[in-house]
Amino acid sequence: MSSDSSDKSKPRVGIYGLTGCAGDQLLLIHCEDEILDIFNAFDIRSFVMASSNPIEDDMDVALVEGSVSTEEQKEHLLEIRKRSKILVAIGNCATVGGVQAMYAQDGTFKDRMKKVYGDMKFITAPMEGQPLDAFVTVDYYLPGCPISAKQALPLLSRLLHGASPEPFPHPVCHECKLQENKCLLLDKKFCLGPLTQGGCGAVCPSHGLPCVGCWGPNPDANFNEHVKLLESFGMTKDEVIRRIRNFGGHKILQYIKDL
Amino acid sequence: MTKTKIEIEPLARVEGHGGIKVEIKDNVIKDVQVKILEGPRLFETLVIGKTPEEDLSLVPRICAICNLSHKYASLRALEKALDIKVPAVTQTYRQLMHHGEMLESHSLHLYFLALPDFFGYDNAVAMAEKFGEVVQNALALKKFGNKIMRLMGGRMIHGENPVLGGFGKLPSRESLLELKEEALHHLDFAMATIDILAGLEVPDYLERDTQFICLKPPHGEYDYYGDILLASDGKEYPLEDYKKVIIERTVSHSFAKRSAYNDRPFTVGAIARVLNLGDRLKGKAKEAYDKLVNERWYRNPIYNNFAQAIEQVFSLEDVVRIVDELLTAEIPKIVKPPRGSGTGTGGVEAPRGTLIHHYTIENGVTVDADYITPTAMFLDDIEAFIRKSGETLLAKNEMDGIELKLEMVARAYDPCISCSAHLVTVDFE
Ligand code: SF4
Ligand code: SF4
Repeated sequence: MSSDSSDKSKPRVGIYGLTGCAGDQLLLIHCEDEILDIFNAFDIRSFVMASSNPIEDDMDVALVEGSVSTEEQKEHLLEIRKRSKILVAIGNCATVGGVQAMYAQDGTFKDRMKKVYGDMKFITAPMEGQPLDAFVTVDYYLPGCPISAKQALPLLSRLLHGASPEPFPHPVCHECKLQENKCLLLDKKFCLGPLTQGGCGAVCPSHGLPCVGCWGPNPDANFNEHVKLLESFGMTKDEVIRRIRNFGGHKILQYIKDL
Repeated sequence: MTKTKIEIEPLARVEGHGGIKVEIKDNVIKDVQVKILEGPRLFETLVIGKTPEEDLSLVPRICAICNLSHKYASLRALEKALDIKVPAVTQTYRQLMHHGEMLESHSLHLYFLALPDFFGYDNAVAMAEKFGEVVQNALALKKFGNKIMRLMGGRMIHGENPVLGGFGKLPSRESLLELKEEALHHLDFAMATIDILAGLEVPDYLERDTQFICLKPPHGEYDYYGDILLASDGKEYPLEDYKKVIIERTVSHSFAKRSAYNDRPFTVGAIARVLNLGDRLKGKAKEAYDKLVNERWYRNPIYNNFAQAIEQVFSLEDVVRIVDELLTAEIPKIVKPPRGSGTGTGGVEAPRGTLIHHYTIENGVTVDADYITPTAMFLDDIEAFIRKSGETLLAKNEMDGIELKLEMVARAYDPCISCSAHLVTVDFE
């Protein structure tokens, strides 16, 4: 599909979407100032959302968005993994399972399928959304719902130059301080900033609104204490956990299992 | 050598994972399926037991390109359910927000997803070599749409800023003035686009009659929201009755539901709006309408691309009008819900068509939710136009490059699914 796909010096890239809203691929397309450079610097072999006639063979980097939600997608992901040297999970659906996995492992998936679609049988079997690393090794993670350009572009540049992308091991609160916002928790308002991975620039608190956790769980967080704090604001424990699960997907289970 | 099956998978340059399958037997088309293989996400069940605030964070994730339309439709439904009456100026800010999405989505579709077909390219970046200026201007226009979305939404995609009863933060005077200036600047390119399109040849192999549905704005102007469904047969229905008007069903080749009106397929989207409401257009948008619209539009969805171009002009002009209005308006406060229970149906015109959200809230908790997306509404219509295309091309024995021709029909609707990658396969016998 790219005109100079014979250029061996450029890393070959495939950009794929499984089940999600296409927001992470769209974020890349929305890098209006960089998109032409991205297409020039990389040999983009497959990016079906933006281009026809993909070339599906071996590649250096695969960026995969979305959760695995059908048998067909599972097969597709395994096949992408085989063909790629580096696989990057992009977005909350790919990294933790997405909002479609908020009831992960609670056993309600079948009933909920039935509620929406009745007894219909589909040509590919549906399954509850799972993150990519439930099936394949993931080399790098770009969290976010959707990912941010501030994290995505440095990752792409590093991969372009054969370097390892840097992790960003800070919570939303860290970025909220950099924005000099007044902490919502001081006013006894709900916020999931302390439990959530940073990278968005703390946009929601910067609009005076709570972080709802869309970057997924921050592994260093003290879940126990934060749940207690929010309970002291008058919320029930069930409600707090329900909200934590909205964007926590499968990965949240390990953090809340003892709460 | 006759084809017995045409299989187009993946359907490229659309949002989502879909394909087209056409079965041919004895030179007659037996079956047409637009397959939507995007996995199920069951949003209707995700929101049960949630507060309206959570619903509003979750629903934009149905679709990134029209994330604010989803938020907006939910806001309209939930505010009805909870009897929240926002001041007129809040509604005006929402219209500004929505123009951002129209500009972002229409420019993305028109220049990046649809136009490459007309000029024979795989993508818009490849097109940039010969049509550099168009691509650069299109990128700038899309960026402008995104700028409004970021300003009003809080983020470009899935922003939290629009909340029940108002907005977390409103734009400054300076930002509003900047928007006005930029809108005026982009208007030239939007009008130049009308001339580019006027010079394009639109294929006629697909033409057949269909029906058009859109929301009727609550005032006498062109707009993208309303509480009445307006059909091209002249009938009007209260939005709350949508289930009696738009009849849904499930099919096994698609995780998107299907819909019919009067037992027949129908079109929603820019073309439906322009055909149903075009006589309300004014200014440059009216000029654009007069240049482009003709009788063939009623039978040919490829003109949806053209209708989007007209709406780009309308939205840019309306941004200018809205900014002037907001500059002298009071700053609205966030309205708190007066009650915790109720039922409400909200409708907006998403870039690709009528979008309906419906909720029942009991004591502050969601007990029932229903969403009908534009793609679910027009999939039957796409299949009907693809069938017609196949029949015409088969009769004329013009089977070369038929895949692209069928893809163009589907792409014209600007469907919202999410992509995957397989190759186009054609079976010969
Ligand atoms: S992570 Fe969020 S933005 Fe990305 S596909 Fe999933 S829902 Fe969409
Ligand atoms: S503040 Fe929280 S909810 Fe908002 S974008 Fe950042 S991570 Fe997502």
